[in-house]
Amino acid sequence: MKRLGMLRERLIGALGTDGVKTEPEDLSVYAFDAYTDGGRPLAVVLPRSTNEVSAVVKIAREFGEPIVARGAGTGLCGGAVPAAGGIVISTMRMNRILELDAANRRARVEPGLINLDLSRRVAADGLFFAPDPSSQQISTIGGNIATNAGGPHCLSYGTTVNHVLGLEVVDETGEVFTTSIDDSGYDLTAALVGSEGTLGIVTSAWVRLLAQPEAVRVWVAAFDQMEAASEAVSAIVAAGIVPTALEMMDSVIVTAVEAAFHAGYPTGAAAVLLVESAGFEEDVAAAESAIRAIVNQHGARYMRGARTAAERAALWAGRKGAAGATGRIAPNYYTQDVCVPRSKLPTALRAVAAAAAEHAITVGNVFHAGDGNLHPLLMYDRRDRRQVAAVVLTGNAILESAIELGGTISGEHGIGWEKRDAMTRVYTTADLAAMGRVRDVFDPRRRLNPEKIFPSGARCSEVTPP
Amino acid sequence: MRTATAPVAPETIDALGTIVAQADRGGGKISIAGGNTLSGMGLPLEAPALALSTLRLTGVVANESADLTIAVRAGMTLQGVNVLLAGQGQFIPFDAPAPQYATVGGTLAAGWLGPRRHRYGRLRDYLIGSAIVLADGSVARAGGMVVKNVAGYDMSRLYVGSFGTLGILVQANFKTIPAPGHARIFLAPLPERTRERAFAALAALPVAPSAAFWVDGFHNSIDGDDGNEGRVAVLLDGSEALLERATRDLRSALGRAGVPETRVFDTGARESFQRIVDAYVANLGERSVTYRIASFPTESAERALNIQQLARRYDLRTETIVDALNGDVVLRASGLDSRTLGGKIESFDDAIHELEPGAQVIACEHPHRVHLNAWGEAPAAVERMRALKARFDPNRTLNPGRFVGGI
Repeated sequence: MKRLGMLRERLIGALGTDGVKTEPEDLSVYAFDAYTDGGRPLAVVLPRSTNEVSAVVKIAREFGEPIVARGAGTGLCGGAVPAAGGIVISTMRMNRILELDAANRRARVEPGLINLDLSRRVAADGLFFAPDPSSQQISTIGGNIATNAGGPHCLSYGTTVNHVLGLEVVDETGEVFTTSIDDSGYDLTAALVGSEGTLGIVTSAWVRLLAQPEAVRVWVAAFDQMEAASEAVSAIVAAGIVPTALEMMDSVIVTAVEAAFHAGYPTGAAAVLLVESAGFEEDVAAAESAIRAIVNQHGARYMRGARTAAERAALWAGRKGAAGATGRIAPNYYTQDVCVPRSKLPTALRAVAAAAAEHAITVGNVFHAGDGNLHPLLMYDRRDRRQVAAVVLTGNAILESAIELGGTISGEHGIGWEKRDAMTRVYTTADLAAMGRVRDVFDPRRRLNPEKIFPSGARCSEVTPP
Repeated sequence: MRTATAPVAPETIDALGTIVAQADRGGGKISIAGGNTLSGMGLPLEAPALALSTLRLTGVVANESADLTIAVRAGMTLQGVNVLLAGQGQFIPFDAPAPQYATVGGTLAAGWLGPRRHRYGRLRDYLIGSAIVLADGSVARAGGMVVKNVAGYDMSRLYVGSFGTLGILVQANFKTIPAPGHARIFLAPLPERTRERAFAALAALPVAPSAAFWVDGFHNSIDGDDGNEGRVAVLLDGSEALLERATRDLRSALGRAGVPETRVFDTGARESFQRIVDAYVANLGERSVTYRIASFPTESAERALNIQQLARRYDLRTETIVDALNGDVVLRASGLDSRTLGGKIESFDDAIHELEPGAQVIACEHPHRVHLNAWGEAPAAVERMRALKARFDPNRTLNPGRFVGGI
């Protein structure tokens, strides 16, 4: 108790009383992210600057406490919760745009800036920030960087790493360093993006902004079979058309979304495909006729476009609110996140249905079909232990089938606490040891977000603390 | 620059791993090369080394054309890959010099940045998986054959641009993109008074070109010269309908900027573009040195003029390529012969780094190359880079001394 009091005093000395939380009711807010499992920290701090982050890291080091950096807590794999005690650094008060260089299409931002706020604030310059996770209304750029977040528009723009030009980072000793993708030397920026807070704490980032496309169109197509819809997705991509988004929803999701948002999706279809094409007028027009021909060939009931910007926004609001809408079906849901080669989508979806049927779990599918990135939502009631166990088994079975199809265990949510032991299913000891070598350089004492990403049994890459 | 002794060229990853493991255990050093097209980058090795070539490590490991993914061995040439992909209506924007010789592994290891990245993104963004032979001979794989993957650290991207100093890249898995159907190139003289306005007009075009250059000199690379004031070269690619519109926009924009006459080619457009890319590292034997400076598009023309002036003060002849969309400035400075360049090259190198601390040498065959600041100023995080090298290659077996900061 005395030690905790001293720690609290030191943190307040560095950040002021309004920047430090140690009351149990405050701490419990930070015990969870959007994953089911959590762990309460000893203290939560809300720094306002790089210097304050550095000061906190130094104090934590002195007290031997681990550190977890946290944005809005929208992560789905338990990446932003402490494994055991430790200090949570919330970046929510570091939310400024520090520099905007519209002519060269870049901006330097703080990690707590909300993803959508960045696009809103550069819109007047005709620019936008491309990574758009479904949580973009609340998730932070820092969190997006930590998880290398994706989103529906990854299909043409790629994940967050494609849009980060350089970083300012506080390391595990409290020292500040910077990286730039234009520096000579190793691409440390790429190594840090997606490292889930295990290599350093990002305190600002140069990000790439894109010019807003002159034309954007969104269509929905309705199918009587999931299989036909996923074959249409493969056919569109194989035909050399890369829409900016190619999203799929099954009837479970469409029913829930329509009841919640009245987004304008056709009801009664087995699968709804949401397609967006953006770019130049000429290309968008050509894409529309090509896509229409392909979905018709695959037996689509119909395809229709949003006629107004409001209709388009409603279609996207439905897609981005899909997970929340499942609250109408069951009190809780668990999102699996696996990625398979696109042509394996129909097989992967059959495996999802079979696993759900075997364990008597209701499943809704809403996912980035164009990337082969599946998100089965497994619905359950947390109070029913039988259902909880069945969800775990179903989730594992889906993971297994994705691996068998040559896929990966996370397409965009990350590994975190949830999937760390599954890392051995896709990587060998040598593969993991190579990652461990990077960790050794940046966080030799394993103080930054410990017990994440690396399998619990991994000893091969660990070193004795100096 | 070919090595004097014949390099060892294993045909399998296992055989390559065995050679590396033996060298590592016995204290031997290994220099690693693909097609030698970018051998002018970096420093000479600090110790005599066994030359290891990836040229026989060829072949397609997997070609999932419907998925738009492909996995190849590192020794395949860029041309080999792109000819194969072109047959499927796909491509990867490699954009490196001499694609008939350049290998996939070498291009990735050098972190080569092509002019079309403004439109298509960096080559590293297409790398979805990799296999690397580490200094102890073991093989580490990362990523896979899916286009989205966030399972663990992004090791593949870390190897891009690492010059073989963390390990030897032996396999690369890429995502591909549909190839644009048509290409067109514009060439026009670019008198000095029009330059600034032409650059601004290019940046403001609604349909962004795939590449746009101001080329001053390099007479063998492209035609349509206008004395010493250079030319503008613009590459458009895309659908026929898009090219029609882009052509109208570009013509009127350049016209408004005062660019006197524009010539347009469809036939041979891609070849003309490739000749400009080849020029980046084309050297004049021992009488030239070529620098590359990363800049911002809004500053690149002015910075190019400053270093041209500097070179003239040293009585060196200059030729320049400015990448108007990405901001890269390439300067080839040359003397009458090796001797006249040799008398100035080291003091010019100091002066250019005073003006442009990040300037990198990308092509030089002059013997004084060993005394040049080939990488420019050390990056801010150089100590962490050294630590990475020490952790991956503790015996300094792989390309020792060639990379940034003596790594």
